[in-house]
Amino acid sequence: MASYKPTNIPVYPKLGEKVTEETLYWKNYKTPIQIKEFGAVSNIHFSPVTPYNFAVTAFTRIHLYGLLSQEPVKTFTRFKDTAYCGRFRSDGQLLVAGCEDSVVRLFDVSGKVALRMFKGHTKAVHVTDFTSDRYQILTGSDDYTCCLWDIPNSAQLNTYQEHTDYIRCGVTSQLNRDLFVTGSYDHSLKVFDARVDKSVMTINHGHPVESLLLYPSEGLLVSAGGRYVRVWDLLKGGQPLVSLKNHHKTVTCLALSSNGQRLLSGSLDRHVKVYNTTSYKVVHNFDYPAAILSLALAPEDESIVVGMTNSILSIKHRKPSEEAKETAGHQRRRPSYRVYAHRKSYVPKQDDYLVSKPVRQHLAKYDKQLKKFNVSKALDTALETWIRGRKPEITVAVIRELDRRGTLKNALAGRDEQELSRLLSFLIANLVDARFAPVLITAAEMILDIYQSIIGQSPVVDKQLLHLQSLLERELDYQKDLLEVLGMLDTMFASSLPKIELPCSGISTSNGLPQGQSTASRPQILAA
Amino acid sequence: MASDGGSSSLQLPCVFSPKSRQYLAVCAQDGRLRIWNTDSKTINQEYVPSAHLSATCTCIAWGPCRTVKEGPQRKKRKSEAVQVEEKADLLAMGTAAGSVLLYSTAKGTLHCSLVSLEHAGVNCVHWHPEDSVLYSGSDDTNIVEWDLQSGKMRSKWKADRAAVTSLCVSPDGKLLLSAGHVIKMWDLDTKELYRKFTGHSTAVTTLRFATTRPPDSNGLYFVSGAAHDRLISVWQVREDGKDKNSVVSFTLTDEPRHVDLVPSNSKEEAVRLAVVCQDGQLHLFEHFLNGPCKKPFSPSCSVQMADTRESPMPIPMLAAVLGRDSRSVLLAYGNHLQPVIEQVVSNSTFSEITNLWAQMMKTVKTPVVNTKSKVLVPGLPGHQAPLKGSHLEKASEKRKKDTKEMSIAEQLGEIDLSATSSEKVKASLQTDNYAVLLVQGLESNDADILNKVLQTRKEMVIKKTVARLPLSAVLPLVKELTNRLQGHPFAGILMVRWLKAVLMHHTSYLASLPDLVTELGVLYHMIESRVKMFHKLTKLHGKLYLLMTNMVSEVDHTAKLVYEDGEWD
Repeated sequence: MASYKPTNIPVYPKLGEKVTEETLYWKNYKTPIQIKEFGAVSNIHFSPVTPYNFAVTAFTRIHLYGLLSQEPVKTFTRFKDTAYCGRFRSDGQLLVAGCEDSVVRLFDVSGKVALRMFKGHTKAVHVTDFTSDRYQILTGSDDYTCCLWDIPNSAQLNTYQEHTDYIRCGVTSQLNRDLFVTGSYDHSLKVFDARVDKSVMTINHGHPVESLLLYPSEGLLVSAGGRYVRVWDLLKGGQPLVSLKNHHKTVTCLALSSNGQRLLSGSLDRHVKVYNTTSYKVVHNFDYPAAILSLALAPEDESIVVGMTNSILSIKHRKPSEEAKETAGHQRRRPSYRVYAHRKSYVPKQDDYLVSKPVRQHLAKYDKQLKKFNVSKALDTALETWIRGRKPEITVAVIRELDRRGTLKNALAGRDEQELSRLLSFLIANLVDARFAPVLITAAEMILDIYQSIIGQSPVVDKQLLHLQSLLERELDYQKDLLEVLGMLDTMFASSLPKIELPCSGISTSNGLPQGQSTASRPQILAA
Repeated sequence: MASDGGSSSLQLPCVFSPKSRQYLAVCAQDGRLRIWNTDSKTINQEYVPSAHLSATCTCIAWGPCRTVKEGPQRKKRKSEAVQVEEKADLLAMGTAAGSVLLYSTAKGTLHCSLVSLEHAGVNCVHWHPEDSVLYSGSDDTNIVEWDLQSGKMRSKWKADRAAVTSLCVSPDGKLLLSAGHVIKMWDLDTKELYRKFTGHSTAVTTLRFATTRPPDSNGLYFVSGAAHDRLISVWQVREDGKDKNSVVSFTLTDEPRHVDLVPSNSKEEAVRLAVVCQDGQLHLFEHFLNGPCKKPFSPSCSVQMADTRESPMPIPMLAAVLGRDSRSVLLAYGNHLQPVIEQVVSNSTFSEITNLWAQMMKTVKTPVVNTKSKVLVPGLPGHQAPLKGSHLEKASEKRKKDTKEMSIAEQLGEIDLSATSSEKVKASLQTDNYAVLLVQGLESNDADILNKVLQTRKEMVIKKTVARLPLSAVLPLVKELTNRLQGHPFAGILMVRWLKAVLMHHTSYLASLPDLVTELGVLYHMIESRVKMFHKLTKLHGKLYLLMTNMVSEVDHTAKLVYEDGEWD
């Protein structure tokens, strides 16, 4: 006995943006929490140890937020002027920050008053960081110098006066306690070694450098400045690897995702771009309401924190992952699993005769109706709001199946006003879609044939018909325009033809493959 | 960095030239010095002190007007000097980088720069009224005396424990007032401290001598204003040295920003004072200085500028100077980039002017850039780059009207006219904007920008934008349009216009692409699949059209043709 064959739902290519794993991953964040700070948020830094608090530097304060709290857990207010660059030490115990009044302050995370004040710079200090041995501090200032300070006796160890403009960014190496990199508005990056008294490497970025980032392996250095993000190979002596230009305003901040696979850049053009670090292509894009000044990612990418010029701090938390949900489900089902466990664990022995059980075919609702030849009901179920809105291809496939059977007229006939208007609204929504047009045009013609006698009786239906008419008119105008464009394209292809054919006849052997491909594809298009 | 931009506490200098008030020197937020002609209301000169915003100009002082005699570098200009006898020429600018620049308005270039070894920012500069000597006070608490003939530092002394924020030389050139937190009076011959006045708790921003009498006659007064202080204090230099406190104070609504003063030469003459506050109000005072007075004075007249829209917004005042006669005031208001300069003359007292001004605010004229004005580009001093010519032509019509002072009636009549003309200018600028915007949007894939640009309906705008598009942006635009072509015909029709414009304008470029077929193949296929149903759709449309028109005409119930059977039987 032949079984019923379910309706074939063709798979259409999806329109719009390609959905990749990346977009799914980066879209999987909740709606952002927005917190108003006192001024532009110039820096955000996550504590490297649990509970992963983060320090937000805005105006004359540094707030410490917990990973999930929306209230600051701690506030440092002992600044005389705008504070800059609040950063944690690698053990999360100490916090260092620069200030517009040129004094660098060191805080205990649990305390309030500065433990140490480093005085020596003559202008605002925008860069502070701890060296990897935890005993020294690197600072960079608007007086064009960068200094190393000793924490225990708060002494200035060394001063480097090599930059010729403001120093606005810097990082210390996490592998070597003597290495650090600074970036300045004089367009240069300098790699310093504390064991020698001068820079060991100078790299020209080409624009005032706003932000710096070292890869965890520390072979690669990323710099941002102007509209460019540039990646440099430090092991090859500062060779430029990649230059990225995906923003239309100055790039202000950089961050690396926790596994080091993705690079994020924030810019004054209100975007955060996510790059793949193997291909350096943009894989995702976040939009924010204002120009972005600072950006940080929580460990495991649990949240994205962005600070903006309009003094708003935006925190996006990751949605609880699918796995977590699934395990929660399993816990609920566990007792039943235990009861039936012995059946599932039964392994057939060698001589057992297996009686195969016919696989029960699961049919969709509309297929069940089709199987019973209830054509009208099949169409009704296919026109249910959910299907018609979300998966119009199912509705279209059912209509086509009915048409194939020659019963579409029966299915469409005998509708009352409400059902007819539902049909018409579906047509209005999908008739101009090139994927569905062939099927739906026949359906539309049938509807007109069947119901032409009742036109003028129901205002609702009349209104929809008028709407459909105007839509068709627009579509026809549009297609006329498109035909003209097609003509233009034909001319253009034709004029470019001889240029490709010339080398084909002359030096065809030189690189035959790509030309062969192009010539192979061209006739197809022209013929079609 | 961008975060610095938010600080509005930055004081931007804005100074009128002395005596004839012919020029207004303004240093705007963009770090450029602009010199406006107060007669023609046009930019006379533009100069960039430094490419770097760290070296922005912090203070400006006009040199005294005089004919110049000495100095080797000025010999060249001697012939000119005869004609421009009374014109203000040299302008001293103190920069945050620690140098003092002398700019010559006659030559339109940098005259010379005075550089000290320390790089502490200069807070104030002041000219000696007679000798060619300049004083500057800086963040490193020192006062420097510059010899302008040699361009060298003549002497330097520590003035205060805090940064020196204000300086003033007495009209007779014998005394110098300096202020950090304490006001000190120095004898310029010996460079010794003469008097000390304490009272201000914050940095003193303004110092002016109010009388021109010798210090030992009990008749020498000066005024001072400090940051965050809503007062102007008057101090008397007394013979016996018992000058502990200020004698008179004038109340203000906010901290003083720009002070102009007409000193009194005798006891019978009142001192007139015009103070522009931080909140944009102008206050005028008139007072006879004759000893202490306990009660603070309120202004004889306060002026707040406002535009005359439905809900008037205040327009901040930038600077004001009092004219020779007591009736005129020269005002600069608006923003620093384009200040509006207006001479106001009143027949009666000042308080009546306020009403008058309220009417005039309707015609806040936009100043016009002069064709002859120079723009100096940072780097090589004296290097010139031409201004963009495009908007000059537009402006030329308006300039003719603006060259003369208009009466209020004329100005009111001008409103309608200027509204239309400004719209024209806007439209022509928009296309340029759109091309830039479009490139930006394509580069960063910004949906907002792209929507804004691509949803234009104006054919002209589309054409011009496409024409100005750089070649590198053409293919990304075609790709973006390909994405947008799929979908509703309402949106599609707009995109087709763009696509046509691109194809028309960049035909040769596109045809020259070696991989044209692969680049445009997607587009071709997309269009083709859509157009496939054209035939059937047209038929359906015809059917529908017939039915619907029949439906509409069914209202007419009388039959067009009636057969009446049986009559012929």
